[in-house]
Amino acid sequence: MSFRHTLAGRLMADPMAVVALIIITALVAIAVFADVISPHDHTAMNLADRFAPPSSTYWLGTDNLGRDTFSRLAQGSRIALYVALTAVTISGLIGLVLGMIAGFGPRWLDNLLLFIFDTLRAYPTIILALALAALMPRGLSTVIIVVVITSFAEYGRVVRTQTLSLKNAEFILAERAMGASFGRIVFHHVLPNVLGPFFILAAMNLPVVITIEAGMSFLGIGVPPGTPSWGATLKDGFDYIRNTPWIIIAGGLPLILVTLGFTFLGEALRDQLDPKLRKSR
Amino acid sequence: MTKTRPSAPFSNVTRRQLMAGAAALSVGAMIPVAAWADGSRLNVRAYLEPDDYDPLDASGFLEELLYGCIYRKLIQYVPGEEWDWQLDLAESIEQTSPTTIEFRLKEGQMWSDGYGEITAEDVKFSMDRHMVEENNSRIKPDLGSFTHVEVTGTYSGIIHLDRPFAPLWTIALPYLAGTVICKEAVEAAGGKITTAVPPAVSGPYRVVEHRLGERWVLERNPEFSGTPADFERVDLIVVVDDSAAEIAKDAGDVDFTSIGAGSVQRLRDNPPAGSRMTVHPALFYHWVGLNVQHPKFEDERVRQAIMHAIDVPSIMQAAFFDVAEPSTGIIAPGLIGHRPETLIPPQADFARARELLDEAGIDRLEINIDVLNNVTHTTAAQVMQAMMAQAGIDLNISVHESGSFWSLGVAADGDRWQDLELTIKRFSMTPDPYYATAWFVSDQIGDWNWEQFSSEEFDRLHDEALSETDPDLRDEMYRRMQDLMEESGGYRFLTHGVTANLFADSIAPATRPDGLPLVQFFRRA
Repeated sequence: MSFRHTLAGRLMADPMAVVALIIITALVAIAVFADVISPHDHTAMNLADRFAPPSSTYWLGTDNLGRDTFSRLAQGSRIALYVALTAVTISGLIGLVLGMIAGFGPRWLDNLLLFIFDTLRAYPTIILALALAALMPRGLSTVIIVVVITSFAEYGRVVRTQTLSLKNAEFILAERAMGASFGRIVFHHVLPNVLGPFFILAAMNLPVVITIEAGMSFLGIGVPPGTPSWGATLKDGFDYIRNTPWIIIAGGLPLILVTLGFTFLGEALRDQLDPKLRKSR
Repeated sequence: MTKTRPSAPFSNVTRRQLMAGAAALSVGAMIPVAAWADGSRLNVRAYLEPDDYDPLDASGFLEELLYGCIYRKLIQYVPGEEWDWQLDLAESIEQTSPTTIEFRLKEGQMWSDGYGEITAEDVKFSMDRHMVEENNSRIKPDLGSFTHVEVTGTYSGIIHLDRPFAPLWTIALPYLAGTVICKEAVEAAGGKITTAVPPAVSGPYRVVEHRLGERWVLERNPEFSGTPADFERVDLIVVVDDSAAEIAKDAGDVDFTSIGAGSVQRLRDNPPAGSRMTVHPALFYHWVGLNVQHPKFEDERVRQAIMHAIDVPSIMQAAFFDVAEPSTGIIAPGLIGHRPETLIPPQADFARARELLDEAGIDRLEINIDVLNNVTHTTAAQVMQAMMAQAGIDLNISVHESGSFWSLGVAADGDRWQDLELTIKRFSMTPDPYYATAWFVSDQIGDWNWEQFSSEEFDRLHDEALSETDPDLRDEMYRRMQDLMEESGGYRFLTHGVTANLFADSIAPATRPDGLPLVQFFRRA
């Protein structure tokens, strides 16, 4: 099979996917090489230069303590990626396992899990975050726990639906008739078919998680002050918006780009992985 | 058969009618604005929410903001630049001996809601209840050596002290503890005001509604016996954040607000149209407190190292935008007991801090600081974090909303008070040093004394100073008390700050000399 017929090849032929991959690659590169590309120490205060506008010295200006905004955003990309990848991975795995259990399990178990999924999905994320923040120490772990609790149900729902539609499909029934084990059916036939929608959902959820982290930090229930998260930068920007608009503009920029990048990627993946959409093109 | 086409909604409305309707809607939408613009309504920002209507629960200026509007006192502060008092309920009041003060009430001063005339029994009830142990009055220290009120007639009485109490005229009578409440109404309510609106008020305004976490809605009290208030309605609007308050002022949602230090210079350079700003030297005191009883800080050298690693000028520059000066203690300039300088200079000495840690055998010290979620204190904490790292101290910052923060050091609210390490706090103040030191005596541990500082000499001096009438001796005593606080390693004094107020030029605000508003005296300009 030639490269252009592989998933990667098809994605590279899609302009939306290319834009998405450029943005995401840039984000990952900035996160990985943050220490190298940051022109200043992100913790270094320089009160004489606070609220400086963008310049050749401070590419995105400085904050209220004279810290370089670009360097802080570069470091913040590590936090954003760390939270997003960790939270999406954990919630995805939990959702995957529970969704398949619901799909294959007895009716009562399916109903019970469905009840749990729907209850959790109905609970507003920020309200839950506020409640948990009062009980738990402030930090990235709390942010991740909040995201996992509020988002694994979505994966579980999608996986359950896929599993239910697959478990009585003709090819699965044929496998069973030929004496295939339960494990073979799950890992060789159901799981690969579930992963397509699962990854689309994960790609779509990554920016949501990043926004939740930023939102929690903005509300003061995310990372502790001084941590260079994007939400904390936005909060500083809001606090000092009368002194300079640059902090809030710079703080919002990566959030917009990352949301666009992952949303484009999710859309492109859906175009390529959803057989109905592929046929219609 | 003919079919009639169903008419679309508003199909008969002509363009002219639409325009007329839009105009009518616009006029309608302007009605509240017009009502506001005529000055009948006043919106004042409160930086936190007052606790409730019962002076037993009062904790500081926020309650005074509310009580000043709805209750009266024997005497009240005079608005202006000098600390002074004026008669309120009292027709006359006089110190007849070092331990007795005789007063006579004005006749015909009425309670609302049919509770009749204000009498000396009300004064006695209001003040005596703070001395009842079971009532757990949080402002009992305000009353110093007060023992009881003796009623000598319907309108007259004698305030008794067990020894002279110098701050009586500056704290006890014109501030929270001097608030007179209605005996009959409170007793009918079970001895404590826990109702949604107070059962009886006497001030220029009465409470109409309390929207929890949002605002107190007051309206002119028609039964007020003094000069009627200028405003039909006063809203005390809770806006915790200074930036949000400034935006609310710009949007016209509040008429009077205090603003953050970060805005002072900008507003001086570009004053907003239709607004005025005033800046007053404040009496507040901000400080970094350290729990001296915490096992981590048992070694005095560790405490001193932390104090040396806090650079006050940097905090002034970053958090107070250089509009405030470093303080030398808890007593502001101009008051008895103000110290000319601190024992440890305000500038950090990282080498000395490192040296003290080395002597204590500590290579790297990790400590925690709890701060309120306001910009000033979180910024100060971040400056400390960056600076202290130079001395090998890792500072973790925990930010709390106000309800959670102000319960951290209170024993009655859980066990967290014992685990506290560092905090940044700001206390309000009155023009007598007694009010500053009262919160740091040993008895206050588990309540307001979060540093758990305990010194027999401090307690004794505090006790003696409240009866001392020689200003020079008092001055010396209070200076010594602040030395003791600093020597303990539990206190790094930051600043008294400034109070900057931004207000609509359609109002004539009334403030204390430290800039705090006396809303009951606000008038239309």
